[in-house]
Amino acid sequence: MILFRLSAALCASAAAFLIPSASLAELGGSYSGVQRDQAHLHAQLQSQTRAGLTTHVMTLAVGSTVKEFTNASGTVYAVSWRGHGKPDLRQLLGAHFNTMQAHYAQTRGRVLRHAALVNEPSLVVQSGGHPGAFWGVAYLPQAVPAGVSVTDLQ
Amino acid sequence: MIRALLALCVAGALAACSSGGSVPAGGTGSGSGSSSTSSTSSTTTSSSSGGTTLTNFATVTVDAGPAALNVGPNAYTSTNSPFVSVTICAPGSATNCQTIDHVILDTGSVGLRIVQSVLNTSLLTALPTESDASGNPVGECYQYVNSYVFGSVRQADFAIGGEKVANMPFNVMGDTGSFSSVPSSCSSGGGTETNTVQTFGGNGILGVGTTPTDCGADCQVTNGSAAATYYDCPSSGCATIITRNASTVAPFQQLPNPVAAFSTDNNGTIISLPAVAPAGVVTLTGTIYFGIGTQTNNALSGATVLPASLSTSAIGSGLVTATYNGTKLPISYIDSGTNAYYFVDSAIATCKSTGFSGFYCPTSALSLAPTITGTNGTVGNASFTLYNAETSPAATSNAVPGIGVNPNVPPPTTPITNSFAFGLPFFFGRNVYTAIEGRNAGGVAGPYFAY
Repeated sequence: MILFRLSAALCASAAAFLIPSASLAELGGSYSGVQRDQAHLHAQLQSQTRAGLTTHVMTLAVGSTVKEFTNASGTVYAVSWRGHGKPDLRQLLGAHFNTMQAHYAQTRGRVLRHAALVNEPSLVVQSGGHPGAFWGVAYLPQAVPAGVSVTDLQ
Repeated sequence: MIRALLALCVAGALAACSSGGSVPAGGTGSGSGSSSTSSTSSTTTSSSSGGTTLTNFATVTVDAGPAALNVGPNAYTSTNSPFVSVTICAPGSATNCQTIDHVILDTGSVGLRIVQSVLNTSLLTALPTESDASGNPVGECYQYVNSYVFGSVRQADFAIGGEKVANMPFNVMGDTGSFSSVPSSCSSGGGTETNTVQTFGGNGILGVGTTPTDCGADCQVTNGSAAATYYDCPSSGCATIITRNASTVAPFQQLPNPVAAFSTDNNGTIISLPAVAPAGVVTLTGTIYFGIGTQTNNALSGATVLPASLSTSAIGSGLVTATYNGTKLPISYIDSGTNAYYFVDSAIATCKSTGFSGFYCPTSALSLAPTITGTNGTVGNASFTLYNAETSPAATSNAVPGIGVNPNVPPPTTPITNSFAFGLPFFFGRNVYTAIEGRNAGGVAGPYFAY
């Protein structure tokens, strides 16, 4: 179900600029965070590195696949998911989860209420699908390595 | 408010009588039903079937939604939301019953969910909760793409049209007591909690998608991932995730697809809505038929059958491949619970007004020609006319054809461009079949969409 609202009251959206956290947050965090995510999700982990960029694929018992993308310095610059359910985004997005939630709260009562939604210079989150088939991606535009196309992050 | 809703129910019942027993004719514009402000009515004549009165159908209404939406600072009215009325009774009772209007009819999800606040106290207190292996009540979290609901799993005798399911589990969204606190593992999927009528967009939802239950095998193992999550709910609250079996007959555990749980006409549905003029209409009335190829009014004749992905698929259930401007979009779907076409075409102008951010606003109506390919390679034509979402619909219209949203607006362009969602406007002027996984529907194995 994706519902928008055509006649809701409007409210101005104030873009909250956010500095990517390099501490414990998973998105924006380090490879050790990837390992914590794997344990938290009870997932099998496979990693592939090419030209200093690594894709960590976590496969859950049934139903979902989560990918985390790390750059040459080991920082997680993107997370994507696909499968029957939504993964634990509080865990995967770390501090950025609250930024995403703040955007959902702003969207509430506005005209549009549908997939997708954070689009800031420091954070992009997009999601879609229906119950039983969800997908999404979150990335830090300023941390995406040169030469990486965001369309490769699915 | 009660008077207004009663009037709607009466209108719905009359429409159902006039279209009952009619064979949904294949082809654009020939669906049964009527649109209240259009000058033409496309209601088909009723046909008796050898003296048998058919009851495998119910009225579908696309209107402004329940009055509770349009109050307070976040007031709004529904656009392109199809509603049905359902009746639930305390198990075994013929008198402790309630008919609930404005339940969203959703081919994109599975299971019956009702907002707790719309249930009469006498009925609510008589609806037993499901019990788990510890003897505790069962709770459920259910995820939508940008929201989630949470509440109890209770049992009721369920009826819609002439179809019934005894002791059917359903989700009471926003239930109180042990269920009043949403577990963090439920909210961790992100999005907003929508346990009220206004935030949810209806009094409830009737999920009649392609899977027989709302979680299938995913909830029969620990650490699975699904839209549904079931919880052990002692009086201290719900925290522990539990496994639940998938059954479409009693004793149930997971929420069944209510259609799959019918004793007959249980292999799928046909949603038949009239075509809608560009300005839209205030109220659109059509029909949902239960069963495919099971009665004289639900034949699979003349429809293009497009098999959809299975619940065991890695990408998820109920997906087909759209092709748009020569590009294959493999995670596409047909969904009555989505109220516009959602697709990416950066060549089409989007609206400038703040209130229409993301909607397409072409300077003149555009003929677009997506196709839909089933998992067996069968291709269906899904052409439609895209209208300007801001200037085409009349201000009073609640059913609006041909409006689309670009999910990648505002820029920068985001990565996910491989999906085309065919929302409710796709259903206008069509009979859209949704067949359930594992069921033979009109001689063809589900899951599939057909139209």
